[in-house]
Amino acid sequence: MAEPPQRPGTHALGGLEMIRLIARREIGQRMRARSFLIGTVLIVVALVAVGLVNRIVADDGPGTIDIGLVAAGDSRAPFERLATAAGEQLDRPVSVTDHDDLATARAALRDGDLDVVVDAGRGRALFDTDVDDQTLALVRQAWSQVTVEARLGDAGLSPAQITEALSAAPLEAVTVDADDGPSGLAVLTGTVAAVLLFLSLQTFGAYVLTGVVEEKSSAVVEVLLVRARPDRLLAGKVIGIGVAALVQFASAVAAGFVALAISGLEVPGEIWSSVPLMLVWFLGGFTMYSTLYALAGSLVSRQEDAQSAAAPIGYALVAAYLLVFIFGYDPESLPSTVLSMLPPFAPFVMPMRMAAGAASAIEVVVAVAGLALATFAAWKLSARIYEQVLLRRGSRIAWRDALRLLRHS
Amino acid sequence: MLTVDGLTKRFGRVTALDGVAFDVAPGEIVGFLGPNGAGKTTAMRAIMGLITLDAGTVTWHGRPVGPDVRLRFGYMPAERGMYQRMKVREHLVYYATMCGLRDGAGPAADGWLDRLGLADRADDVVQTLSSGNQQRVQLALALINAPDLLVLDEPFSGLDPIAVETLSDVLRQQVARGAALLLSSHQLDLVAHVCSSVVIVDRGRVVLRGDVAAIRAASPTRYVDIEFTVPTDFTPPPDGRPDTPVAPPTVDPDRRRHRIPVPADADPGALIARARATGPVLSYAFAPPDLSEVFLTAVGRPAHGDGDAPAGDADG
Repeated sequence: MAEPPQRPGTHALGGLEMIRLIARREIGQRMRARSFLIGTVLIVVALVAVGLVNRIVADDGPGTIDIGLVAAGDSRAPFERLATAAGEQLDRPVSVTDHDDLATARAALRDGDLDVVVDAGRGRALFDTDVDDQTLALVRQAWSQVTVEARLGDAGLSPAQITEALSAAPLEAVTVDADDGPSGLAVLTGTVAAVLLFLSLQTFGAYVLTGVVEEKSSAVVEVLLVRARPDRLLAGKVIGIGVAALVQFASAVAAGFVALAISGLEVPGEIWSSVPLMLVWFLGGFTMYSTLYALAGSLVSRQEDAQSAAAPIGYALVAAYLLVFIFGYDPESLPSTVLSMLPPFAPFVMPMRMAAGAASAIEVVVAVAGLALATFAAWKLSARIYEQVLLRRGSRIAWRDALRLLRHS
Repeated sequence: MLTVDGLTKRFGRVTALDGVAFDVAPGEIVGFLGPNGAGKTTAMRAIMGLITLDAGTVTWHGRPVGPDVRLRFGYMPAERGMYQRMKVREHLVYYATMCGLRDGAGPAADGWLDRLGLADRADDVVQTLSSGNQQRVQLALALINAPDLLVLDEPFSGLDPIAVETLSDVLRQQVARGAALLLSSHQLDLVAHVCSSVVIVDRGRVVLRGDVAAIRAASPTRYVDIEFTVPTDFTPPPDGRPDTPVAPPTVDPDRRRHRIPVPADADPGALIARARATGPVLSYAFAPPDLSEVFLTAVGRPAHGDGDAPAGDADG
């Protein structure tokens, strides 16, 4: 029989080394899981698909206004010029085609080749089934200008004089109370940050919860606690699963940018600057909530009890998520300000307030400090309860009792 | 040398450990015995630092046992525990690293996979292994750091005779290289076979400890075993004689084997002569109580019964 292996030299792991070791195991386990790969691929494919669909729809969409012109005579050239100019103001290209008689023009209208037929002879605009207001306004404006130009010409004005007489700068649209609402970019940033954090926690928060319970429900906890302190075990778990979540988050954000790029939509350049903001709050929110999930996991010893122990966290999460859509769009309001500083809601409400420039520095500091404090308390408390697993086999610890432990520690 | 002294632990109103004290020396296999609930697991967990004691000390070569000293200990809990979805080798390497083996983690894992015949299962997920093989992985986890002290909580439970032999073999080798070994078990015949000395606890207290042969010899009782070739009714001698049984004899249902407890200083000759006069004797023996009888006496349960199997099977 073979000799037992040589006695190897050992050298205790430091706290950070231990946390890194534990985190590395979690990363390996989570990122190799089929559910992780499928989930990430689905998110990326879905986002890119949205971009593609957008592009296709944009090409076919409310683009060129096709105008059929019947019996226009000399008015044809000025009409086309004026209709095109009016189209530019609406950001829509205009195409004008001539038709010899009304019958062929109406046939083209019925076939959908034309959006409108202008019957110059009788001064009518013909639509197929419904009158499109924008198109109608455009052809009316063009036609009335053609008429005015013709009359001014008849009155003896030169073309240059006519152009000058008719060239009035269009009114610029300005909102006097513009500061009230957040910009589109702020809304986009805040919404995307909230949705991604919410979705991540739905999946990865559950991993933290079941991961902790998995250890507690089997004797593996006994083998582990001989070697590692419970706070390090839990920190490693939250960090490891957090890295997996971050990889998925980054994939989603990257796919989002690819989707924007191929969609053909105009993207505000500042969107790049919102990424660090989203990332920081994602990390903060994820860490706090998943530490709370670890705490919930440490309260129970069986997977059957895990969901009910985690229910209060689930409620807080859903509430925070929904509050973004209720108060978040009004970042200056009192509820929004208060919520953005309370730990359970800050990761959801604060990114939008910051993106909208509505949060003062002191509010951000309060929010970050609250989040850090809540995370630290949940971490230490969960470690303390986790440690007692061997003494409390099978029984579930009530949240009440857990909070009492916190007071005594 | 592991020395535990005055170990005391209360859970609410239940006293799990009540001043437990014993030693385990390097090169020694100590059997840790006691009925269910006697406090064996609690004591082992206390040695491994898994529970905090109300009183008492655990020292290794005179030094209080802390996390760094415990790096040189190996532990197998009563309930087997592994990450079910990890690969076998990966699990061993992970735990070895946790034990501080660092670069030695891989070689240590491979060494034990070879040694325990698991090399071809190295990349299989733990939960796909048979319970016997999972047990081997669990053993490898306990041994991966080549510990100076091994604390094994019921390592033999659930093993088939071949696995028991393999495990006994591995444990003897560990002791031969100088490890100290404390193991709990309910299989007293196995303990008698493997352990050099025992510690028997009951209701949180040590009721008997020492060298197995010495405590058997110290018993005031000896047994005369007589086997007849045919079913025989054998009546022990009447009261007042030195070879009078100290308790009713145990008779097998087929009435061939008779086990008669007598005082240690009794002369078995007369009893055997009496048996030969009664019927054809196939074999006879004169011996001290076996470990299970010592155990039952020590924990205050009747050692001499009506032929029921003595302690040996555990119910959990």
